[in-house]
Amino acid sequence: MTTRTHFGSAARAAFRGALRGSLALLVALAATGCDLDLENPNAPPESEVISNVDGMYTLAVGMQGQYANSIDDYLTTNSLGTDEWGTRSKALISYQEMFTAPAIDNSYLLVEEPWANSYETIKSANTILANIDQLGLGTGLRNQFTALAKLFKAMSYGMLVQQYDQVPITVGSDAAVIQPREMVLDTVLALLQSANEDMQQVSDADIAQSRARLLGTGFDIRNTVSAMLARYSLMAGDYQGAIDAADAVDPNVLSVFTFPPPTRNPVENLAFQLGYVGALKSFVTEAEPGDQRPAYWVNVTAAPLPANPADSIILPLAKYSLPDDPYPVYLPDEMKLIKAEALTRMNEQLDVAADLVNEVRTQTSSSVDEPLAGLSALPASDLDTQDELLAEIAKQRRYELFEQGLRWEDTRRFGTALTTTPTVQFLPIPQQECLTNSSHPCG
Amino acid sequence: MVVRRVRTWVSILALFIGLPATVAAQQTVSGSVTDASNGQPIANVQISVTGTMLGTLTTQDGRFTISSVPTGARNIVARRIGYATARQDITVSEGSPAEVTFSLTPVAKTLEEVVVSGVGAPAERRVVGNTVETVAGDEVSQAPAATSIDQALQGKITGAVISQNSGNPGGGVSVRLRGTNSILGGSEPLYVVDGVIVDNSSDALVSLSANASRGNTAISNALSDLDPDDIERIEVLKGAAAAALYGSRANNGVIQIFTKRGRAGETNVTLRTEYSLSKIAKRYDLNMSPYAGYADVQYGGADSIGEPIQRWDIQDEILRVGQGTSNQLSLSGGSGPTTYFVSGGYDYDQGIVRNVDYRRWNLRTNLTQRLSEKLEVGVRGSYTDSKANYLPEGEQTPGVLTSVIFTPTSVNQFFDKSTGRYPYNPLLGPSAFEVMNNFEAPNRVTRMVGGFDVTAHPTSSITLKYLAGIDDYRQDAKFFQPPYSRAANFTGSVENPVALSRQFNNDFTATHLGKLGNSFGLTSTAGFRYASDRREVVRAAASDLQPGQDLVSGATQSASQSLTELRTLGFFLEERAAVADRLYLTAGINYEASSAFGPDERWQFFPRVSASYVMGEEPWFQKSLGNTVSSLRLRAAYGETGGQPPGLYSRFANYVDLPFSGRPGLVASTLAGNDSLLPEREREYEFGFDAGFAKDRAQLEFTYYNRHVKDLVLAVPLPPSSGFTSQYQNIGELTNNGVEIALNTVNVSGQNFTWRSRLSYARNRGKVTRLVTSADTLLDGYLNAVIEGQPVGVFYGGIFARNPDGTIATKATDLVYNGRDTTVMLPYRAQDVLPSGAVANASRIIGNPEPDFVATFGNTFDIGRRLQIGVLLDGRFGNDVANFSKRISQLFGADKSNEAEISGDTTFRAYTLNPNGRSTTYEAYIEDGTFVKLREISAALSFDDPWVRRFGAQRLTLRLAGRNLYTWTDYSGLDPEVNMFSASTVSRGVDFATTPLPRQFTMSVSLNF
Repeated sequence: MTTRTHFGSAARAAFRGALRGSLALLVALAATGCDLDLENPNAPPESEVISNVDGMYTLAVGMQGQYANSIDDYLTTNSLGTDEWGTRSKALISYQEMFTAPAIDNSYLLVEEPWANSYETIKSANTILANIDQLGLGTGLRNQFTALAKLFKAMSYGMLVQQYDQVPITVGSDAAVIQPREMVLDTVLALLQSANEDMQQVSDADIAQSRARLLGTGFDIRNTVSAMLARYSLMAGDYQGAIDAADAVDPNVLSVFTFPPPTRNPVENLAFQLGYVGALKSFVTEAEPGDQRPAYWVNVTAAPLPANPADSIILPLAKYSLPDDPYPVYLPDEMKLIKAEALTRMNEQLDVAADLVNEVRTQTSSSVDEPLAGLSALPASDLDTQDELLAEIAKQRRYELFEQGLRWEDTRRFGTALTTTPTVQFLPIPQQECLTNSSHPCG
Repeated sequence: MVVRRVRTWVSILALFIGLPATVAAQQTVSGSVTDASNGQPIANVQISVTGTMLGTLTTQDGRFTISSVPTGARNIVARRIGYATARQDITVSEGSPAEVTFSLTPVAKTLEEVVVSGVGAPAERRVVGNTVETVAGDEVSQAPAATSIDQALQGKITGAVISQNSGNPGGGVSVRLRGTNSILGGSEPLYVVDGVIVDNSSDALVSLSANASRGNTAISNALSDLDPDDIERIEVLKGAAAAALYGSRANNGVIQIFTKRGRAGETNVTLRTEYSLSKIAKRYDLNMSPYAGYADVQYGGADSIGEPIQRWDIQDEILRVGQGTSNQLSLSGGSGPTTYFVSGGYDYDQGIVRNVDYRRWNLRTNLTQRLSEKLEVGVRGSYTDSKANYLPEGEQTPGVLTSVIFTPTSVNQFFDKSTGRYPYNPLLGPSAFEVMNNFEAPNRVTRMVGGFDVTAHPTSSITLKYLAGIDDYRQDAKFFQPPYSRAANFTGSVENPVALSRQFNNDFTATHLGKLGNSFGLTSTAGFRYASDRREVVRAAASDLQPGQDLVSGATQSASQSLTELRTLGFFLEERAAVADRLYLTAGINYEASSAFGPDERWQFFPRVSASYVMGEEPWFQKSLGNTVSSLRLRAAYGETGGQPPGLYSRFANYVDLPFSGRPGLVASTLAGNDSLLPEREREYEFGFDAGFAKDRAQLEFTYYNRHVKDLVLAVPLPPSSGFTSQYQNIGELTNNGVEIALNTVNVSGQNFTWRSRLSYARNRGKVTRLVTSADTLLDGYLNAVIEGQPVGVFYGGIFARNPDGTIATKATDLVYNGRDTTVMLPYRAQDVLPSGAVANASRIIGNPEPDFVATFGNTFDIGRRLQIGVLLDGRFGNDVANFSKRISQLFGADKSNEAEISGDTTFRAYTLNPNGRSTTYEAYIEDGTFVKLREISAALSFDDPWVRRFGAQRLTLRLAGRNLYTWTDYSGLDPEVNMFSASTVSRGVDFATTPLPRQFTMSVSLNF
């Protein structure tokens, strides 16, 4: 059949063409196709992130996000273990145990998260500190990076040491050895002092130039470094250092973490979106009559929420009720109370301390969003001994610094000056750390 | 270095191809083949001329013609599965065409069958020391109502556990060869079509049954893009020794598919058309009590327990008898050096759930051209366009079947005229009818699979083969939920992911046949393979849709993209020694690199050795045992293969997005990178024998295998103080061992009646022998777990508290029941104080979804010259099924058993809406899933009478067939075979509102012209 013959010869020609093509292909592949070093196109590797300033900016932002997103983890333990929060019926069993039980299982996520999140933040800070100098940035920019990294590293250690009795300082190995609190606090202070020094060489113009990329709106790095120095100096017992640092903080400035969409205020998420926690009603009923602050923090007029255990009475929170509400890194009046406490503990200028306490008690207005007590001043005779002052400072801290992650440490520092004792003294070292850290931190 | 080696091969190839074709004296050889038992002609007998590439297949009337046979003394071989191989020596002389006639004796199985076996060059089965299962194409193409090859293979491969995961047309099938061989990696075999590595990924693009975030849970089947009608032969390489050539992709075995080729001679046209009906075999037995129960009150169907109530069983409105059709037209033939096979097909199948259907168009062209006696080139390719319309089921809350059991039967889901729409389901959101009629979940695939190959015989002892193959497809999936469908404030959503996948492979093989004297032969093979895979998924989504918008066009839109690439390059060498044509020894090595691993661990050796000893041909054996044992072969093999890590970029320390304060941020992943990851490595040895009895009318195959997989990738926890939480490391180990036995027999072979059967039995025992710590319980899906000392995927879950005598501990609990206070006995809850001596409810191993053994029994009866009957039974024994359908229907009061509660049996509050009761004590829902299915039954009548010829046809075949017509099982659910988690590695045996496999009836007519 002629058609078949025709087909055969046409196919023959086509095959010869295809053959030539495929040989060319084979040669080309053999020469070029053997590159087996494929990069991950979906996620940048570390080498790319640290090699230029744009990557470093995103890493610095990520580091801030790591810390800010951990606030709920810090608060869960702080507020549930003390007299701030109770658990609603929806809360996980681990939350209820944190609220009620004398001991807590070290396998709970609630135990692990403050630990893991802090070290993740510290790792990001370490990556910035280790690689920033290779970019050859000018001091004004370079020091903002280093100061920011040191600040967040210090805050992470600071939060760790308030949650766990002993924690590792050196990280990045699988045998990080736990260190006593004093050593951790020394590290915190050294980092903050170093951050402070770094910021001395940074002008306001430098900050303004890089703010949109590095610090974002709402976050005030200078005041935050000083405020943290004051906070942790007090915890470390360096009272003069605490006073000096607190003096450097501008009371009319608020430094906040902001949560525009798609991010979300983690406290709002925990208390409103998930509905796990509420304020203990005792926070409202134990307040001094006329104190305006319970209503700042708590929805005092609402009906109690279904609670578990059922015998606790809890009210809805009022603050941080919207997903994009900012959360303060510190509140300005903490500085007054730090100074008052430092003076009292040094047993010096108790009258100045009393004045500071009364300033907090009588505040009725502010240029920033902070709680206002609106109480009358206490007579000097009620605030002229160390015991009287410490008791009043502890009380003011309770109402001024509600759900700021400081109450647990207060119970340790003020001891008998408080009416509450925490359910657990410290969190245990997380199970995963116990099992995997070859230095056997859990014995 | 590597490149230079490749270039050397290229130049060798180019040298030989460049040689002019030599013209020698040639002649045509033709002949016929008949069955020795009844004298009937045999079609599809492979005729070849020894020592040349010449060959063909016999036509329907048993005739064959081979042109251009070089003159001289030639040996002609006739091979056909089911017949003893026959050889004839002839002399081909110039001037007169040669004529050869063969009369073949039926045997159960023969050692002379030629297999490719994953080694360089095809070889007779007797030579190969490892098991190779072969399945003939007509067994695949004639499997009734099978839309995909893997479905058609059910019950035909000894030891393979092939499950159709759902009854949706074109739906996913999972194939397990010799157990589960990974934990975080995949467990499905590698598929190779005509040498082209094809993609069989089962990652879901949208969540339609199990959530897409769970791995390998697609309800579609990538293999359904290949038309089973195009298949000539399938080889299944179960063991590591056979699969070693595929290196780091071969841990789960390899399924090699060969498509049909044309044959020289007359044009053969086949037209086949099939009509099918699918019907659900069993329905949910629902609570139809005329009085309200606890759940009815909770979900608004009634005000109080016991009041009269209306109920609906919506299964009639949801289910239907599905119709389907399958049509194929193929042309094959060839003239002179050109042969071709061209086919086109159209399939359409309706699912048993309304509005679920599947259609497929496909075209194939296979061309081979002999350019000279020494050179042959081929082009094979297929194009497919398939589209399935699916609906959500399983754990998806708007699932259609889900809403039958996830909703009290007192909830009215029918159209509400007063609101003008379907009512909202108080539990799931949309009404089942809303989902069925208005949701859209199509899955459309356009796919090209093809290859180009060149075979050269520069000398009579050297064969060079080059192949370039590609599998390129685009898969568009979609999940559209109209506005207001789920709730009054639901603004609608649409997801439109598109996957673009391209796999390319490029193989070169050189084989040299050597002979040392008369009794020692040496076959040497060397080659390389380069393969690259690329898969990109672009996902667009939108919400806030307006009515009528069903594309990504709403007010709120989002998009994402992911890209994964894998490249492997391997070199292989193999030596096969034949001693006295009885003892065959093979040793090979594959040296392969994969881009998934860091430079230090990239190059890996995958060795293999095997031995085959045809003892039955030893004269001493024939003298002593030859009368009873007509043939005997002993074989043994050892091989190593590899498996890919769970992520192709696991070696890197990757950074992930963490936006903060309105700015983009990046942080290190808490999963640490590991540059020293290795392929998961499988080491397997197997040994066995093939024995023929009664002149090979019965043949017994026995294989024992023992497989050890080490370096399994697991997420190893790191100290959180390092800033990481885990890292993939090569830690885990598991073993699989088992036996595979097949007995093939020709029970009767007579003038008018032949009965052949195949009985197979296989058992596998899997055991995880090492995890990160021996106390680890890695949970996957719902209940499936990985635990040391247990098979992968055992069910692990809550059990009832037990009294000392082993009975379930119950305690008096006060409840308000039927408006009065009653006290019922409920099982103890976790927080209750138990009576002394009782053991608390805890989680423990409660079942194993892997079968104790699988067995199949296949029969074909040839009655007269017209009628052929086939019956295939496929059974699975001792496998447990987690009946989540039962659990959820009891929990929501929809199950028949809930009627007991309404009629006054207060203990039943243990089931309905009692989260502390029976629903979390999963032991109550683990059932024995043992089943035997009448997998296939068929009757075919063939006519080649003169009246058929009047249509211009040579043969007309009428077939009536059925698939899954009957299931023998004690399982209380709809189907013990399905799995909501589809092809998941660990999560097996979970039945949760998954479409059961339907009963399918088919009628077909085929015409051969």
